[in-house]
Amino acid sequence: MKTDLSPRIKVIVYGLMTVLLIPFVFPTWWMVTSSVKPISDIFAFPPDIFPRRFDFSTYGRVFELQPFAQQYWNSAYIAALVTAGTMMFSSMAGYAFARIRFPFANTLFMIVLIGLLIPAEVTIVPLFQMFLGWGMINTHWPLVLIPIFGAPSVFATFVMRQFFIALPKELEEAARVDGLGRFKIFWTIALPLARPALGAVAIFTFLHSWNLYLEPIVFLSSPENFTLPQALTQFTDAYGGALWNVQLAAATMTALPVLIVFIIAQRQFVEGLAHSGLKG
Amino acid sequence: MASVTLSDVKKSYGKAAVIHGIDVDIADGEFVVLVGPSGCGKSTLLHMLAGLETITDGTIAIGDDVVNDLEPKDRDIAMVFQNYALYPHMTVAANMGFSLEHRRVAKDTIAERVKWAAGILGLEPYLDRFPRQLSGGQRQRVAMGRAIVRDPKVFLFDEPLSNLDAKLRVVMRGEIKALHQRLKTTTVYVTHDQVEAMTMADKIVVLSGGRIEQVGAPLELYDRPANQFVAGFIGSPSMNFIPGQVGASGFEADGVTLPCPAGTPIGTKAIYGVRPEHFTLSPDGIKAEILIVEPMGSETQVTMKLGQTSVIGLFRERVAGMPGETIGITIDPAKTHLFDAVNGQRLG
Repeated sequence: MKTDLSPRIKVIVYGLMTVLLIPFVFPTWWMVTSSVKPISDIFAFPPDIFPRRFDFSTYGRVFELQPFAQQYWNSAYIAALVTAGTMMFSSMAGYAFARIRFPFANTLFMIVLIGLLIPAEVTIVPLFQMFLGWGMINTHWPLVLIPIFGAPSVFATFVMRQFFIALPKELEEAARVDGLGRFKIFWTIALPLARPALGAVAIFTFLHSWNLYLEPIVFLSSPENFTLPQALTQFTDAYGGALWNVQLAAATMTALPVLIVFIIAQRQFVEGLAHSGLKG
Repeated sequence: MASVTLSDVKKSYGKAAVIHGIDVDIADGEFVVLVGPSGCGKSTLLHMLAGLETITDGTIAIGDDVVNDLEPKDRDIAMVFQNYALYPHMTVAANMGFSLEHRRVAKDTIAERVKWAAGILGLEPYLDRFPRQLSGGQRQRVAMGRAIVRDPKVFLFDEPLSNLDAKLRVVMRGEIKALHQRLKTTTVYVTHDQVEAMTMADKIVVLSGGRIEQVGAPLELYDRPANQFVAGFIGSPSMNFIPGQVGASGFEADGVTLPCPAGTPIGTKAIYGVRPEHFTLSPDGIKAEILIVEPMGSETQVTMKLGQTSVIGLFRERVAGMPGETIGITIDPAKTHLFDAVNGQRLG
């Protein structure tokens, strides 16, 4: 923002920004504060913006009602595997599409991109049939394999390809003269330089996997196999009524790593997308 | 070190032929400059020599070995690129030692070689820096350092000075020349700058449209250009060309008769060539009308009308005349050139 705005304009601009901030910040604020309120206070009218009474036992009950630690671990290791796998495959595919001249490369890339246009809901039934045939229902395999070879990876491949296209050709020529083969050029020259794009891919993929909801509810049936988004729907009383404060405590814990990752890496995320020629 | 021989080397991209059969012999330790305008094929030729481009036909030999099918790494060459092509994520020392490290040379030896190269190029204080922390000239030196640590048979330079400012270019030109004199490694250097070619080369290969126009020592090309293209390309400002025909008393152009060397049959239609620096001021000489006077301090460049043709003269003296005035000039016939009016080849 320009710094030469007059004080009056500044007040208006900052005031407007503050108002616009409310719809983005309020849900998070409500989630965090409600997680430490007794359930009756959540529905108090007029609503309490700041909690009057604190009840931290909700956080303990999260672990009593569900195998939440196990579910946390499930989400974490699945997201880690998906992130690592997507980074590996998308960087290699992106490099191949950007740098290796082979017949119909552009046509093939277009076909790959078309994958982005197909909604997950369209493919979920055939995928269920496929994984059923492979005996992988109620395992984590579908949640790992689908993102790595599905739409998120296609998007990641696109981001990586755009980055590698912009990498000077002379660097590779210099590496060839220095004695490197194709894979070593990719591994020791291109990939280390692609860190901003890889960072963006990592964050995007991690978030996607962490927030995945449709696939877990289709493929998983045992609570100990659940991932966090699916587990969040399970905090109910004996009559199926939602335990809002417990659920919001679980939601707060679920959102925490995402917030931390994004706060730490948001700059890299934006830079990475900028490198890809995309607007963040 | 090794000689390099290019025999009938051709290159086509599909049906488009870009190199039409190049024959060049480069002696062991020679500094050869490939020069020509943009698109003449000089960089393509260098890339073929490096193994970065395949060749369509012909043979390339380094020493006694035909290297047509060898990968760049197996040709024992080192290349310096136009934009330096330093690995941005590696320090200067790592950049310079990278190829040796990849060839599993002992760490002590690598450190020794890098130190030796850095010493020659004045890079010792910068070994731990990254390329982004260096100036253009320093990056260029690192690129050269990366080439010399390997002690290759042949150095290849692809327009290495074109990204530098004019002053630094002159400095680096001297450094490259000094490096060659010190190491005596066979060098092939590509440039579009004829001044670089003239000042650095033992031998110049002038290319145009994927063909060799002339091969020779710098002064040989300057004194006896084989054709009108080479005559116009070598020398700055360019040679003046005046169309006309050989007459009994000299070269008869439109509105003026100029002295020319004897031996060309009278009546021959030709292009008369004279370099700007080969005009001499003389009050009794041929009259020319001044169009523009450009004083440059050490010399004066004058655009003038000789007969009906506009030409450029370069004089050591200061020219006091104003546009529209007339000056007298003389030309030494021994320093003039005649080219065939049809094919541009040298006459006589």
